[in-house]
Amino acid sequence: MNGAQQIVATLKQQGVEQVFGYPGGAIMPLYDALYDGGVKHMLTRHEQGAAMAAVGYARAGANRGLKVGVCIATSGPGATNLVTGLAEAQLDSIPLIAITGQVAQPVIGTDAFQEVDVLGMSLSVTKHSFMVTDVKELKRTIEQAFEIATSGRPGPVLIDVPKDIQLAEVEESLAYVASAKPATAPNASSLAQAKRLISEAKQPMAYVGGGVGMANAVSELRAFLTDSQIPSVSTLKGIGAITEDQPYYLGMLGMHGTKAANLSVQETDLLIVIGARFDDRVTGKLDEFAPDAKVIHLDADASEFGKRREPDVALDSDLKLTLPELHGKCDIAPWQATVNQRKHDFAWRYDHPGAHIFAPAMLNELSKMINKDTVVACDVGQHQMWVAQHMQFDGPENHLSSAGLGTMGFGLPAAIGAQFARPNDTVINVSGDGSFMMNVQELTTIKRAKLPVKMLLIDNNRLGMVRQWQDLFFNGRFSETILDDNPDFVKMASAFDIPGETISNKIDVHAALQRMLNSDGPYLLHVLIDAEENVWPLVPPGVANDKMMEDC
Amino acid sequence: MQHSLTITTRSQADVLERVLRVTRHRGFLVQSMHIEHEVQHLPAGYAIELTVTSERPIAHLTNQLVKLFDVEQVTLKQLQAVASPEAAIA
Repeated sequence: MNGAQQIVATLKQQGVEQVFGYPGGAIMPLYDALYDGGVKHMLTRHEQGAAMAAVGYARAGANRGLKVGVCIATSGPGATNLVTGLAEAQLDSIPLIAITGQVAQPVIGTDAFQEVDVLGMSLSVTKHSFMVTDVKELKRTIEQAFEIATSGRPGPVLIDVPKDIQLAEVEESLAYVASAKPATAPNASSLAQAKRLISEAKQPMAYVGGGVGMANAVSELRAFLTDSQIPSVSTLKGIGAITEDQPYYLGMLGMHGTKAANLSVQETDLLIVIGARFDDRVTGKLDEFAPDAKVIHLDADASEFGKRREPDVALDSDLKLTLPELHGKCDIAPWQATVNQRKHDFAWRYDHPGAHIFAPAMLNELSKMINKDTVVACDVGQHQMWVAQHMQFDGPENHLSSAGLGTMGFGLPAAIGAQFARPNDTVINVSGDGSFMMNVQELTTIKRAKLPVKMLLIDNNRLGMVRQWQDLFFNGRFSETILDDNPDFVKMASAFDIPGETISNKIDVHAALQRMLNSDGPYLLHVLIDAEENVWPLVPPGVANDKMMEDC
Repeated sequence: MQHSLTITTRSQADVLERVLRVTRHRGFLVQSMHIEHEVQHLPAGYAIELTVTSERPIAHLTNQLVKLFDVEQVTLKQLQAVASPEAAIA
């Protein structure tokens, strides 16, 4: 057995069934081992596509028996093309293993062909990274990488493997001793303090983030909210952890959050932060965010405590263990009535004049047409916010959105990865005309793998979110955001044997969505919308969340 | 504000880069640094004496340093060891 064969064998031992990647010179031994090694490999048409597909695979498969996404690339440009995917996984805490080929050790540091210092490059975009310098270390390095990627706050781990290590015969392997600490119970005195704050609060609010899904603590969260009847809001990545029928759930908070959520968070006297991190897109002007609130902060990563807001109580244990300990009834009827009234008063409206398709209404309609196990993978921009605002999800693994990094081009490869993780579920990429072009080469992957991925392409011939900001904050100077030279998207899809259609009138929306959902294979529904549509509400930069701009 | 830290790490070639990268990125300026490798009291690692300045609370740095996989202990001079993230925010 050589090193490359041992990589494949160790991946199998780790339970890996599917990897995504792109071959090249320095990774050829591993691709030779993959040829008949028993691990399925999906060729993408760009390494970024492989990384994003692996992220989508890990996210859609979370809490469904799958854990880790794996992507593979060659040295130099192959590895540099992975970087955005690694950063994506780092910012959204996704368990990802990236294996890169490296030039042979004797020529490392000589500026050899396709040589880049990948370990150095990886430092800021991974949870950890390795370069293997002895084939005896290879197996245990991979085992260690999986442990790091999945333990505590998950994240990406890169393993750089020089070509000579891949080709070396394995005569012995050093044993790996697991070092991850087991999940710890919450500190008793902190817990008592938290329970006291909850019992004393008159206007508590649960602020729920992506950490809940990553900790597989969705059911514990729901039980806590049901038992306490504490009102709740969600971050972009937390969407799906709470369902719409949860009493006193106000939807997303922050820059494009609901008016009910933002106004209520500003008035809360106790913010219970559950797997969230006071991201700037959530808080608006930090000094004025929930100004009268005490803070209980629950997170798997203690470095989040006090990073942006000092907590009154910090609970750095596993959310699965902590949340059941916080149960208790709250006497907050007036507060519940207030948030309910706001939920009613500021409910979304879908009446819209004219024949133009109103994307929020269309997405809300789509949401009602799909079953709860449908996965929606977004790209980034206006359509992403409309999905977050106007679609409902049961489980964070069904809403894949590039939250931390905001990566245009994420949606299509993430949908591909999700379809591999969940072959029996419907997967829809909701995209915009700017984002779609960022990884459009992956249409070939859909064709190659015969994937039934649906694509809902919302096209305003603009980089819509940037255009919106230019309109509002840059005196309407539309610098490089007019995309009136877009290709004919339906014709382009047909070149990949993907059927599709274009609609532009709202009376056609329901039937077209139905055709897309009913199609056996992939389908592109290209939807033309008005270029002037904006995402509302919007909290402008530098102000508090209660000073949001509304339709203007 | 100036702070002095002692950091002990595993003996990995890349660990110094990681420590310095985190220090810079989290908003701290290195004033002085002294490194010893595989010394008597630390036969398989680095001992790093680091003095930094920043307007930010030192916990913003120590909480990140203790997360580095190859960092074994971070001690604020004349203060308690902050070997774990929990201790680092104490």
